[in-house]
Amino acid sequence: MAKLDPLERITDLLLVLLDAKRPLSRREIMLRVPGYPESDDASRQGFVRDCNILKSEGVPLVSSRIAGDDQVGYSIDAEKYYLPDLALDADEQAALNLAVAGVHLGDPTGKEALSKLGIGGQWPVRSAVQPLVDLSFSGGLVALPVLFEAVRSKAVVTFTYRGVIRTVDVAGIRFRGGHWYAVGWDRDRTDARIFRVDRIDDIPQPGDVGSAAFPDDFDPDEAFARSPWNFGTGQALEVDIAVDAVEASRVVTELGAESVIERTDDGAVVIRMSVTDVPALISWVMDFLDHAEILRPPEVRAAMVERLGDYSTPGAQR
Amino acid sequence: MSSRVDTATRLRRLFAILGWLVQVGEAPIDEVAARFNLTPAALVADLEMAACCGVPPYTPDELLEIVVTDETVSTRVGTTLSRPRRLSPGEGLALAASARALLSVPGSDENGALSRALSKLDAVLGQVAVAVELDSPEFLDEVRTASSSGQRLTITYYTATTDTTSERTITPMSLFASEGHWYVDAWCETAGSLRRFRVDRISAATPAGPASPDILAAGHPGPDAAGGSSGSGGVDGDANGDANGDQARLIALGAYVPGPESRRVRIAVDESATWLLESIPSAKPLEPEGGRPVWEVFVGGDAWLERLLLRLGPAAVVIDPADYRSLAADAAARILERYQSAET
Repeated sequence: MAKLDPLERITDLLLVLLDAKRPLSRREIMLRVPGYPESDDASRQGFVRDCNILKSEGVPLVSSRIAGDDQVGYSIDAEKYYLPDLALDADEQAALNLAVAGVHLGDPTGKEALSKLGIGGQWPVRSAVQPLVDLSFSGGLVALPVLFEAVRSKAVVTFTYRGVIRTVDVAGIRFRGGHWYAVGWDRDRTDARIFRVDRIDDIPQPGDVGSAAFPDDFDPDEAFARSPWNFGTGQALEVDIAVDAVEASRVVTELGAESVIERTDDGAVVIRMSVTDVPALISWVMDFLDHAEILRPPEVRAAMVERLGDYSTPGAQR
Repeated sequence: MSSRVDTATRLRRLFAILGWLVQVGEAPIDEVAARFNLTPAALVADLEMAACCGVPPYTPDELLEIVVTDETVSTRVGTTLSRPRRLSPGEGLALAASARALLSVPGSDENGALSRALSKLDAVLGQVAVAVELDSPEFLDEVRTASSSGQRLTITYYTATTDTTSERTITPMSLFASEGHWYVDAWCETAGSLRRFRVDRISAATPAGPASPDILAAGHPGPDAAGGSSGSGGVDGDANGDANGDQARLIALGAYVPGPESRRVRIAVDESATWLLESIPSAKPLEPEGGRPVWEVFVGGDAWLERLLLRLGPAAVVIDPADYRSLAADAAARILERYQSAET
């Protein structure tokens, strides 16, 4: 008999396991799936290799203890293998393809997801000027899928963040300003916290499904809405800042048009912002060099002037 | 072992083909082969093989229902292996994030199909709070319209690395968001070359008439524009462009590539300030000196380094080159002048 194509053998193996009503032992599988070698050692090796390929392709193949001499049985839970039909129409399929083509995640995961949904392969790019969005970050996405799954299964997670172990009920994940963040309830600090995912030092360990718990008044959107200058616990100050025309567009993009309280003919603006962390605000204003000026209140303006004076002695330790 | 890799790859491809084929029922062999990047002969061989797969007793009614004729291939709804399969957490995230990213670009889902697809996905996968926020700079629409309709734009542009403002006429070629900002690659008539612009640094934009066909035909920026990208073919963004090509281009270009004219600068900083350097893609930590972290950065313009040093705080010190050692103090003095002149 001609040697069987390894693809045929593994496809038969998958079909046999999906069709079986109970876990099958390796001996039973050898009787049902053609193409394994005669010798016991070689056939076991081939079987283990096929199982590993199926697992690496995301097939939920599990082994379990069964009665009888063989002891170990193999099965695939069809419930965990198939997805209910999404019933995507042609436009929706094309839109998802366009989204995956137009968004760069740093790996082919999106394309593999489309294949699993039956909408893989090359799609003609419909729009000539589809904007590209880069959502990847250096350091890889290893922690992100775990956090995503933790949100979905409502599981508490434990991870090391900048050297400290944190236990967090994760409420959501968000891409902002070029980075992925997770927001959640930090059990040790008993407060809402935001974590930059690429600064998580290890792979988060999820707890049991349903183990996450949030205080009644917990609001992830509010936590996300805080800017760096709003993380202090100080009293909120209203700060007015004049920004020259050259930087006005960038500031308005970042803070929103509602922050503008004055606009002059040459394009300069005065913005008003609420601030609880003055040093964080000063660091942000530095980025505009001499194109911005803190106008009021006097104590924040004085803090900026004092800070600027510190640079006159290079390397001054504070 | 290459045979193992091959089997896994072929299995994945077989799933993808069957899953797609079941949606269309029957398709010409050439079309399916092109779609899945196979030769027609290889496609037929794999599908004929799959048509022999099944469960004991391997009688025709127990085999996968795949029909291969001289010209077409077909399969039937309900065939095992053609149903949608569950997504891994990473795959679920990739789809949800991609769809939400495009939905946050104004005007990218005009017929609502993407929103509908996303809500069907959410219904099956379970809705997870994934949000994607992208900038919406004031002149994004103008730039996008110009780039999609082949128009030139006259812009007022602030170059942050050199702290200068200029007026230029550009032909926008491709628009993309990276590291949290929108950029446009465009032919700049002032510079006489391809340039990358950050859209939120455009402070005025007015249409300047149709673009030259020669410029448009040159397509997207090639290798010369980005300081050494591999530029896999210059027409990736055309109507029939390949999405893989577009993505390769984005990786190659990145938001900032240190050019040959950039200077290497070593800075000693306090440990508490290193987070700021970590967020600069081209910055690298070196051996500590005198117990303090030392980083190297590549500087394309003095103003960029001024900003960085001011944000790092007075404790940050330029080690070399020596002519940058007083840069932060000089910049701080210049800013201070603005505060003092306002008070007199």
